[in-house]
Amino acid sequence: MEDEAPGNGTGNAGAMGKKGVPEWLNSSLWASSSSPPASASTTAAACLFRSPPSPKPEAPKRAPIPEPGSPPSPKPEAPTRASIPEPPRPPQPPSEAPRPSVEAPPDDRSPSRLSQEEVSRQSQLLAELSKKVVNIGELRRLASQGIPDDTGIRSIVWKLLLGYLPYDREFWMQELAKKRSQYKAFKEEFLMNPSEMARRLEESAGHKNEELETGGRGFLMRSEITHDEHPLSLGKTSVWNQFFQETETIEQIERDVKRTHPDMQFFCGDSSLAKSNQEALRHILIIFAKLNPGIRYVQGMNELLAPLFYVFRNDPDQNNAAYAEADAFFCFVELLSGFRDNFCQKLDNSVVGIRSTISKLSELLKKHDGELWRHLEITTKVNPQFYAFRWITLLLTQEFNFVDSLHIWDALLSDPDGPQDTLLRVCCAMLILVRKRLLAGDFTSNLKLLQNYPQTNIDHLLYVANKLRGSSAG
Amino acid sequence: MVLVLAIGDLHIPHRAPDLPAKFKSMLVPGKIQHILCTGNLCIKEVHDYLKSLSPDLHITRGEYDEDVRNPENKTLTIGQFKLGLCHGHQIVPWGDLDSLAMLQRQLDVDILVTGHTHQFKAYKHEGGVVINPGSATGAYSSITYDVNPSFVLMDIDGLRVVVYVYELIDGEVKVDKIDFKKTATTQSAH
Repeated sequence: MEDEAPGNGTGNAGAMGKKGVPEWLNSSLWASSSSPPASASTTAAACLFRSPPSPKPEAPKRAPIPEPGSPPSPKPEAPTRASIPEPPRPPQPPSEAPRPSVEAPPDDRSPSRLSQEEVSRQSQLLAELSKKVVNIGELRRLASQGIPDDTGIRSIVWKLLLGYLPYDREFWMQELAKKRSQYKAFKEEFLMNPSEMARRLEESAGHKNEELETGGRGFLMRSEITHDEHPLSLGKTSVWNQFFQETETIEQIERDVKRTHPDMQFFCGDSSLAKSNQEALRHILIIFAKLNPGIRYVQGMNELLAPLFYVFRNDPDQNNAAYAEADAFFCFVELLSGFRDNFCQKLDNSVVGIRSTISKLSELLKKHDGELWRHLEITTKVNPQFYAFRWITLLLTQEFNFVDSLHIWDALLSDPDGPQDTLLRVCCAMLILVRKRLLAGDFTSNLKLLQNYPQTNIDHLLYVANKLRGSSAG
Repeated sequence: MVLVLAIGDLHIPHRAPDLPAKFKSMLVPGKIQHILCTGNLCIKEVHDYLKSLSPDLHITRGEYDEDVRNPENKTLTIGQFKLGLCHGHQIVPWGDLDSLAMLQRQLDVDILVTGHTHQFKAYKHEGGVVINPGSATGAYSSITYDVNPSFVLMDIDGLRVVVYVYELIDGEVKVDKIDFKKTATTQSAH
């Protein structure tokens, strides 16, 4: 029986191929992938095997399929399997028609790297992005399911979600030009050291300085200093004094930039790429600190900036990638505007501060999993501040590997509830997913587990977080 | 942007107890990268104080210095400029600009920092620039009692130097500046 099935399956497919071919088989989806048009059931089966075993939003459709690990399943299933993908497929062809000439990346790679579902998501995203006015609600819905990596879509989607790009495509060029030149002005204003500033002032005032080699002897002319502008000035308005006072912040920024993601070639190392990326990060953080004297620079901001800069810098569109620094700056400002209060020490104990956010998380956990909450907080006395502080302030960038954290950020940025609430739900989901281990553990082991969160399937995590939606806690 | 302090002839404790308070309040650590001291500190405590202002301290020996280990002349390169340091009591006539120019050509430096006369001077000749920071404490010199405390801070930025002259006149700190630059070609050796 085991031997018959494959043969029969192929036989069936062959027969199907010769007779009237189903509509979905002819869709451009199949044509774009570089693999030869394999027999229907084999391709379908192959794709289905690759779908992750975890439950997904489309799970109900997959129910009738036998567990993916068993190819030679009873033959009557073969035609059923082949037809299962049908429901999601038919909507595809019409929306693909307006697909832009952006070469669909699946062209470049074999279909075995992308699952069926990812390919469809990608084309849906591309379709949405190519519209004249992007429907932000639809984009959010699509993005929250995850944006495919390495395709450059993420860069544009994040810019749209963070409000950097306007929804109407027509205005993209002028908005981008405006913002980028504004950033350039910021750089000139804030990144100059006082020497250069003095020199510029001189040149504009038309002073001529003495040339050493022009021969002749004589005493050098002395000129007056205006406004106490000398390097040792202690005056509050002196650019020199301000410069020296900021050196502490700048040193802190430099130290943190050097430590950002030390395992990634992109950020760390001796290559000129790493150095220029570190420069860019440093510039952005310095300008942010100078523009926001209330909050300046706090350790951790570099971690929030890193994914933004990485995504924008790796945009396949060379023009966008060149301006990654300016784009990342504005998106960073936007992202931080929601989370500023977490970084302000004075607000720690206030209603908007980090302590209150952590207690919201606690409430959320209590609501959804009272047993776990009681065990964590009361029995083992694991104060959520010990683990949740880093989760929340750094938006989970430190808990998962880089690629996974990009996926989480897809969900955080696209959720209409807003990143703060979504973050709390994801954190709650993280706790619930390891509940067995937590319930069995004591203070030490629980803390150890939560501070070194184990690698998980992100899709599953986001699915659980999604399920926790509903009336928000308190 | 490199800040270089040129200071000297303090004559502590023999001729002056300490730097003027207004100077001391301005000279704080963390701002200055190099210190060129012409000499005549005279004691170790002053040496330690200067060392606290900047880790890179260069001293040449003055005739009243208690530490005899310092050299008579010193040269160093900061950025695009070569600087020379010498106390100046060795150059006779004291403070004579032609003789100092000779020393400068000998040392082959762009900027020569000397002292001993306790008078601020900034002088240019074909071989380069001579700067005398004067006496930071206003100690009397072998020549005159009428000395204003003064020192010099140089801001070396590429090919350009801005010299800030700090003088204490009638109890008030007066700051002037002098600007000069050199062309990019290398100086011809003499």
